[in-house]
Amino acid sequence: MKKQKSLKARTRVVKTVIYIVCIFLSLLSIMPFYTMFINATRGTYEIQSNSISLIPSTYLISNWKVLINKNFNPAIGFMNSMIIAVGATVLSVYFSSLTAYGLVAYQWKWRQPFFTFIMAVLMIPTQLSIIGFFQFMYKLGLTNKYLPLIVPAAASPAMVFFMRQYLLATLSLDIVNSARIDGAGEIRTFNTIILPIMKPAVATQAIFAFVGSWNNLFTPLVLLTDRKKYTMPIMVNLLRGDIYRTEYGSVYLALSLTVLPLFIIYFILSRHIIGGVALGALKE
Amino acid sequence: MKKRMLLLAIVLLVAGAMVFAQGQTDAKTAKGSKVINLWSFTDEVPKMMDRYKELHPEFDYDVKVTIIATTDGAYQPALDQALLAGGADAPDLYTAESAFVLKYTQGDMADYAATYKELGIDVDKLLKEAAIAQYTVDIGSNGRGLVGLGYQATGGAFIYRRSLAKQVWGTDDPKVVQAKIGPGWDKFLAAAADLKKKGIAIVSGDGDVWHAVEGASDKGWLVDDKLYIDPDREAFLDISKTLKDKGYHNDTQDWTDAWYADMKGIGPQPVFGFFGPAWLINYVMAGNSGGTKIGEGTYGDWAVCEPPAGFFWGGTWLLSNKNSKVKDAVGDFIEWVTLDSSNTGLQYYWANGTLFGEGGTKDVVASGTVMAKSDGRLDFLGGQNMFDAFIPAGEFATGRNKTQYDESINNIWRGQVREYTAGNKSRAQAIQDFKQQVFDNLGIEF
Amino acid sequence: MRKNGVSYAKWGYIFSIPFFVVFLVFSLYPIIYTAVIGFTDLQGAGRSSFSFLDKPFDNYRIILANASFLQAMKNTPIIWIAGFIPQILLALLLAAWFTSRRFKIHGQAAFKVLIYMPNIITAATIAFLFRNLFGYPKSPVNDLAMMLGIIDSPFYFWLSAWWSRGIISFIQFWMWYGNTMIVLIAGVLGIDPTLFDAAEIDGASSPQIFFRITLPSLRTILLYTLVTSLIGGLQLFDVPLLFNLGGPDQKTLTTSVFIYNQAFSGRYFYNRASAASMIMFLIIMVCSSILFYIMRDKDQAKLNHERRLERRLERKRRRATAKGVDA
Repeated sequence: MKKQKSLKARTRVVKTVIYIVCIFLSLLSIMPFYTMFINATRGTYEIQSNSISLIPSTYLISNWKVLINKNFNPAIGFMNSMIIAVGATVLSVYFSSLTAYGLVAYQWKWRQPFFTFIMAVLMIPTQLSIIGFFQFMYKLGLTNKYLPLIVPAAASPAMVFFMRQYLLATLSLDIVNSARIDGAGEIRTFNTIILPIMKPAVATQAIFAFVGSWNNLFTPLVLLTDRKKYTMPIMVNLLRGDIYRTEYGSVYLALSLTVLPLFIIYFILSRHIIGGVALGALKE
Repeated sequence: MKKRMLLLAIVLLVAGAMVFAQGQTDAKTAKGSKVINLWSFTDEVPKMMDRYKELHPEFDYDVKVTIIATTDGAYQPALDQALLAGGADAPDLYTAESAFVLKYTQGDMADYAATYKELGIDVDKLLKEAAIAQYTVDIGSNGRGLVGLGYQATGGAFIYRRSLAKQVWGTDDPKVVQAKIGPGWDKFLAAAADLKKKGIAIVSGDGDVWHAVEGASDKGWLVDDKLYIDPDREAFLDISKTLKDKGYHNDTQDWTDAWYADMKGIGPQPVFGFFGPAWLINYVMAGNSGGTKIGEGTYGDWAVCEPPAGFFWGGTWLLSNKNSKVKDAVGDFIEWVTLDSSNTGLQYYWANGTLFGEGGTKDVVASGTVMAKSDGRLDFLGGQNMFDAFIPAGEFATGRNKTQYDESINNIWRGQVREYTAGNKSRAQAIQDFKQQVFDNLGIEF
Repeated sequence: MRKNGVSYAKWGYIFSIPFFVVFLVFSLYPIIYTAVIGFTDLQGAGRSSFSFLDKPFDNYRIILANASFLQAMKNTPIIWIAGFIPQILLALLLAAWFTSRRFKIHGQAAFKVLIYMPNIITAATIAFLFRNLFGYPKSPVNDLAMMLGIIDSPFYFWLSAWWSRGIISFIQFWMWYGNTMIVLIAGVLGIDPTLFDAAEIDGASSPQIFFRITLPSLRTILLYTLVTSLIGGLQLFDVPLLFNLGGPDQKTLTTSVFIYNQAFSGRYFYNRASAASMIMFLIIMVCSSILFYIMRDKDQAKLNHERRLERRLERKRRRATAKGVDA
């Protein structure tokens, strides 16, 4: 009896600690963004005399005007990043699922060697081949094109690995076989039956892929020189260098604008992401 | 239901962005099929282009503008790659700043520049007529001829607060202040001590002094393809250390928030002055003074005098791509900006601040002919005629102490000076590390 | 497996072809190309033709003697490890808490959403934001610290090597612990629940369950996290670049920033940058291989081996019976 009670008490203490830690971490996630959003509404003079404030001010519109006059156009960066990130996400998710399915559902001679190969190329730091990649694309005339930023995503070893783990845990070959009996072709079976089964894993991996592509600075910085094709991270990179941009309120506003679209999408999708993880349990 | 909402939200977001992006590009490429790609590191030349089009309606070209700031050296790699890549998106007209212009006129990228003669400009006649400052011609010429010219003369002066001068020395007369702060850095530091007694910092940060030291030194970073540290530049280590140790400045870095704040006079100590050419007054200080007419902020409380050491800083050169398909049009514009000394040429407007109507910012221009007929009185300087100080300063402007890697090397040097003044390493170590890093990054031996 | 005499094996190949082709063209070829450039004289803006050096390893010699590169080789693992250790520990702790059956944490979903949030934001934005937050002499952090009386005068964060590294490591930690947590939670949920039931019946304590059951079962996932983080961490680029350009005094210069600077600015040393890339490439490959070796599933490997033997026997037997039928 006594033991039970002390256990309960201890549980309560631990739980309190857990809540405190979680609330602290949540605040840590919010704080920098809160500062950013607030400062986006404040004037340069206000920020210079006191850089933190909890209450918004009234300079949002004047900051916006400064920004527009300075040739900063978040809409273009957003569009470009969107095209690249969506393209890369769709390709990587589809072909990784396809490859993973090929690895799980079929018995073929090179199956195990191919999986070993994927695990091996998982270790390849792709960024380090940028010089060869740049020279190659330069010769093909593909600099300033989106293709080299999208197509390589079709070979994402890490995602194949993840998808394979998921399929091993969830796929029952009976479904596949009954589809075959119904006369469905292999590709159709994959598209109409397997992909829906993989939805939770797809959701999680899609958001990872999207975020990775959206945030990539290195490759676009090397490949894109046309201002109309700049992605969001390149724009932020240039923002840092602008010596004539003396209006700090508008800098914070520009940063906020690079973040805002992602925030919106994220909070709409968040239920799916977290839900996807819950369902997307990985079998060892 | 939820899924539909989500889809709808994403579609709306994308559509909104598309419409917005479309509207932005439409505005610029609505009419005509002839395109000029203009690359620059500020909006100064693009704005001149806008004005040129307004003044010359027959100039039927669309101008696609690319602006990339230079602070971290982002402009150069992007411009280089755009020039290399060629094609329809290649720059037709591009600008270079004094810190790296040599690379494009005489250095690694010089082959891409068209000569002004190729653009159809009668160079020899116009140079004489306009009496262009010789140093901008020297910097802009290579074996093939003249490929780049600037429109400003960027000799520097010392720009100080009148009210603070009165407080410390009882007068704001430029002649007196000039004699207090110079010539020479010893007198400058003595003046700093005077000011410090009243709680005033003589400059905002060591960067202000650096531009004067850099522009005043006899030789540049490279002598016979080897790294060379001019004694004047080496002495900057000691000047900077003194400034920091004695609290003679607010320890800001130039082009940062705190530096601008000092122009408004809201830093930890009030700041006495800044080093700079006329453009610093017009394009940086005026906008950051916290006012737009006398009495507001520090506006109108400034004056200029000769600096402790003559120097020049900055300047923009205009170049054209030799592969450009629109050379004639680019040539017309370049001629208007750099060589037209008439009352309808850019430099006349520029010197008198009338490019966008009366009462604009005034500047010192490259053409002696134009300067002779212009008026440099500024409200910002309490009615002082700034040309009195800046025209003599122009004689210090020279291309002799420039190299094509100045931007990169300066960044490394300034970093090491900061390490030394912060007490992180010894003087000898800072110089050693400087040499090493220049060698590591640029392959320049010492 | 064979039904109606149709063999499905070819679909295994077909489904793997896109991956394989894209990999060959966009990954393998550039790697080989990069490796080749490392042995050539390819430098200078705009060049793409090259010839091989008389002394093939000259670029490697130059790079290995390059003090800035060596500094970068030191910085990169320091920054990675300082960010990764707290990241994995906190992620494990949170994963344990959020999957624990004893503490049913309310508002889990909201916590997870907020904790993962930093990961979705452009690293460039975050680095830039933190640069402003830690500015000198005026900035939110300096103002706050002075208001609370922690310091008397503003602190020059950008000039302190350890603060700069620390801030970059913190950004990395802060951006990625949520991601790691999500991956680990997925792993924990995949563990057979009967294992936990049995442990609970045996009266095991939470820490015991965590260390004896959860952790060992997570081996593959941990390996995956470790390897991907190693690869990402040793290629760190955007945060140090945007935070302080690798400064102060190159103390936050990472190898990727170094390679970028060598190849795409200044004098365009494509060849030296390629050599530096290949050195890093080898290091990362060796480290990951070691990780794989250490964390390989010994039982599984043994099992696989046995299975393979079995299958071979099975095939032999079948062939024998087939022959028997034929005969």
